[in-house]
Amino acid sequence: MRRGVGLAAFDRQEQSKRSFAELSSELSKTQVDNLHSQLDQFRTALAHFASTHRESIKNDPTFRHAFQQMCASIGVDPLAGPRKGGWWAELLGLGDWQYELGVQIVDVCVSTREQNGGLIGMTELVRLVSKLRGVTGGEITEEDVISSIKTLQPLGAGYQVVEIDGRKMIRSVVKALDDDQTVILAIAQEAGGRVVEDQLIRRKGWTRDRARAALENMLLRDGLCWLDAQDERTGRSYWIFSALQWDM
Amino acid sequence: MIVVEKRGFVLPSIHSAPPFFTEQPNPTTHATATAQWIKLILTYARHRKLFTLRVEDAETAGSDWEEILRNERINRKILAPHLSNILEAMVQQNLAVYEPPKQARSVLVFWRLQEEWAEVLYDWVTSTGQLNTIMTFYDITDPPLESLLTNIPLSLLRKAIGILGKTNRSQIIAIADGEGVRFLSRSK
Repeated sequence: MRRGVGLAAFDRQEQSKRSFAELSSELSKTQVDNLHSQLDQFRTALAHFASTHRESIKNDPTFRHAFQQMCASIGVDPLAGPRKGGWWAELLGLGDWQYELGVQIVDVCVSTREQNGGLIGMTELVRLVSKLRGVTGGEITEEDVISSIKTLQPLGAGYQVVEIDGRKMIRSVVKALDDDQTVILAIAQEAGGRVVEDQLIRRKGWTRDRARAALENMLLRDGLCWLDAQDERTGRSYWIFSALQWDM
Repeated sequence: MIVVEKRGFVLPSIHSAPPFFTEQPNPTTHATATAQWIKLILTYARHRKLFTLRVEDAETAGSDWEEILRNERINRKILAPHLSNILEAMVQQNLAVYEPPKQARSVLVFWRLQEEWAEVLYDWVTSTGQLNTIMTFYDITDPPLESLLTNIPLSLLRKAIGILGKTNRSQIIAIADGEGVRFLSRSK
């Protein structure tokens, strides 16, 4: 038996190729359409979610935290988006909320800077910001503060969350804390703010010169602590104000 | 922490911090501490209607200012040279004047601005219907019915009268046993 080897065979092959191409483009078009409609659905659902829960997101810290976690896990940044400020932000008003909180954080950091040398404890910051916002502002949490500080980063003002001995602190001056100062801060926090040379010598094995130099630098150069010259036991003690609570 | 003292004055939490009673060597910290001291002195003076603050009050037990110049609970007190510097800062900021003048041991504290005192005085005179009456200073500092001006120091009273004089609302008049003053209604 002989197979046809004429031109008709080529034609047949061409024909089926074309059909396959058509079919495939048909299929991918359906997929794209499908995807578009899914995306539309998602956006509608999101808009709906946002408008329904807008108030809860703004006012309820637990809910806001859960929402932000959800955003993070699906890889969506609530503040970013195609339009300026982000459509998430626009839907939720969360962008403004976050910036507003940022401004309040800056306010507290700047106004307490002279007392604490630009280093403030997280709890204290949350307390003062809440006071500033008043009762109507809704509750805020550490997470809110941390994410707001992230939004401040483009400003280059050097706001930073640092962890000292397991305690979160916010630094608002571009000044690197050296290792000795970190140790001193940790000790101060345990001792209710008060530090003396002997503590550093006894507990950290420092020489007296090293302890004195570190403390005097914090006092005179950096303004990170206050001096108490009436200390009954040592005559001279140093107080780290960022480890204390203080109403203004 | 806020501590309410017996006379109902609310001491700020910084008053419980031992270093508050030491003069701070860092200039920035020093400025903050001085500002806090001045604020405390003015609010306390206003609360207790105190007018005179002396450097000696830092050392004298039982002075009117003891409640703020000392903190027995933490065993701290402000030292005289420190207080003296605070008084100087107050004078510089026009929140006090040395009284008597030409010394630096004692000040008259302006917990109201002198201009405010002038208005308080004028309001009192008006509301008690004593416009155009000749009054002695004593009538003002010790009226039968206690007023905001009761016990106001003479030097402050004179300043207030002087300020009203600039807008023709007061006149100092010589009377038999010294000086008197007459307040006039605001022209125009």
